[in-house]
Amino acid sequence: MTDRLRVPRVAGVVLLVALALALPVAVADRRFYAFIVGITFLHVLWTAGMNLLSGFTGLIPLMYAGLAGIGAYVTVNLVMSAGVSFWLAMPLGAVAAAVVGVVLGLPALRLRGFYFTLSSLVIQSALTLLFVYFPRFTQGDTGISQIPAPTVTLPGLGTAALTGVWFEETLAVAAMLAVLVVWRVTRSRWGAYLVAIREDDVLTEALGIDVTRFRVIAFFISSLLAGMGGAFYAHYVAFVSPRSFDVLTSLNIWLMVAFGGRGTIAGPIVGAVILAPIPYLLQDLYLYKDIIYGVLIVLVTVFLPAGVWGSLLPRLRARLGAAAPARVPGKEFV
Amino acid sequence: MDALLLIGLSVVTTGLITGAIFALVAAGVTIVYGAIWLPNAANGQFFMLGGLLVWSLVTGWGMSPLLAAALVVAASVPFALVLEKGLIRYFYDVPDRNIVYLVVTLGLAQIFAGIFSSTYGRWTDNYSLPAAWPGIVMIGPFPFPKTRLLVLSIALGLLAGLFVFLRLHRVGRALRAVFQNREAAALRGVNVRGIYRFAFVLGTLVVFAGGTLFAMAYSFDLTAAWSMAIVAFAIMIVGGPGSVLGSVVIGLVFGFTQAIVSVFANPTIATFSYLVAMLVILLVKPSGLFTR
Repeated sequence: MTDRLRVPRVAGVVLLVALALALPVAVADRRFYAFIVGITFLHVLWTAGMNLLSGFTGLIPLMYAGLAGIGAYVTVNLVMSAGVSFWLAMPLGAVAAAVVGVVLGLPALRLRGFYFTLSSLVIQSALTLLFVYFPRFTQGDTGISQIPAPTVTLPGLGTAALTGVWFEETLAVAAMLAVLVVWRVTRSRWGAYLVAIREDDVLTEALGIDVTRFRVIAFFISSLLAGMGGAFYAHYVAFVSPRSFDVLTSLNIWLMVAFGGRGTIAGPIVGAVILAPIPYLLQDLYLYKDIIYGVLIVLVTVFLPAGVWGSLLPRLRARLGAAAPARVPGKEFV
Repeated sequence: MDALLLIGLSVVTTGLITGAIFALVAAGVTIVYGAIWLPNAANGQFFMLGGLLVWSLVTGWGMSPLLAAALVVAASVPFALVLEKGLIRYFYDVPDRNIVYLVVTLGLAQIFAGIFSSTYGRWTDNYSLPAAWPGIVMIGPFPFPKTRLLVLSIALGLLAGLFVFLRLHRVGRALRAVFQNREAAALRGVNVRGIYRFAFVLGTLVVFAGGTLFAMAYSFDLTAAWSMAIVAFAIMIVGGPGSVLGSVVIGLVFGFTQAIVSVFANPTIATFSYLVAMLVILLVKPSGLFTR
């Protein structure tokens, strides 16, 4: 990384963090907008996890929403039936999602490209069927409603439910942590391995790097974030049904990553911020959400394979006089 | 004994009809995949579109189901041509196009799902057609609606026609040549892009035919689209991508599985078994069972 980029980058990150923390407070009086802000943070978290796989490893995990569903259902059941604290249940749910993700994904990880994506589609369909037909834990298509908000115990102040602006701030922090984790992973040696695997897994293997192992690690972290997001989603929205975690949800999270720019850190954030609020902002158009997202999937694939940020980034770097830009994926699709 | 016979006959007829329709849709999907490398994830929505259009023509305009079905299947040709011209052909030369196509067609599927739920989904949640051929025939003690007999014969006839076409007709043979080896086919003077376009149109037409036949035989709802998409993919993968024979055999196997499972348990278990079968084949022999 060149020095000339350092200042704008740090300034940008500081600005973004400040903005993310200030936004919930700014709209705190208007619950509707505050809710959209919260949902957007959730999607930032989800896209970070999806990006680690689809952007940096080149695998498109269409079972992502199913894993989020596992995180959500495990957490909700622990909290509502077993009376476990959300703050203990949520990590357990996330780990459950990650374990299921790795166990189910492990055989599929040997596959590449289309065959991996297809088997992830199969796994997603199977998970959706499980959610619908095991109503003991999910209440089937009726869904689970009135999921309580997490409670926080502060020394000296007693116990209170995490609601309103505090919940949005928590989601903001969670989203930032997720982005931070993905940033750390991809800037490390591991990250270099992941990119090497994406670019040419046969060559990477030949160089003595254990391709499957690094794919599994990426898969674990990605699924962990999916499950964590699912747990937060359930307790934030207070309602989950199998439809919240179906294949279209996976596809839409993928769309946000691809729209922003796969394999960049900021791209998925851009994608989530632009696309996640659409169905809520355009209330009258809610029914057409699927059409809008579907059209965007087609358009992004045809015209903007590198994504909004991914197309902007090289120009930005050139303007700032930075060194030759790192290769941004997208031109060759995966 | 009579009860057993009745159940047996019901399983056989349901298995045959479901299997034939599965086989038809999967054949359409596999033709397109074999030729273009396009795994059409929107096949379930095309299937649904065929069924819904027939339903509209019959219930809205009072058209006879058979005429409506013929019109809808004919209309699938310009539909496929427009889609090919406007979208599909842009990726013909992309090396990893199967994954690009999977994503694009998932996008298409989402568009259609959105259109259906915001139009048809508002009107009703169950679509059924009047009998195309009223009355029943008795197979021993088993009453069999004549419409379903008609549907079964048309489906089997179409499959047979498809076979004959692919084996004997010049274009069908060129199509199979492209399945096997694009470069060699091109060297032998086959217009590969022309075959791509033709394969897409033919495959779409066959899927539409499957949808209209299904709509004539059974009442359906909008969820049938996604399950059909998954089942067609499962049949294609298990039977071997590009193998029409594979999709016919596995389609019938899956159809009978569905019919048998439905007698004892929730049909979802059948869907589950397709998913498992597909996953196993993907991991063990991704080229499928019927490819050489």
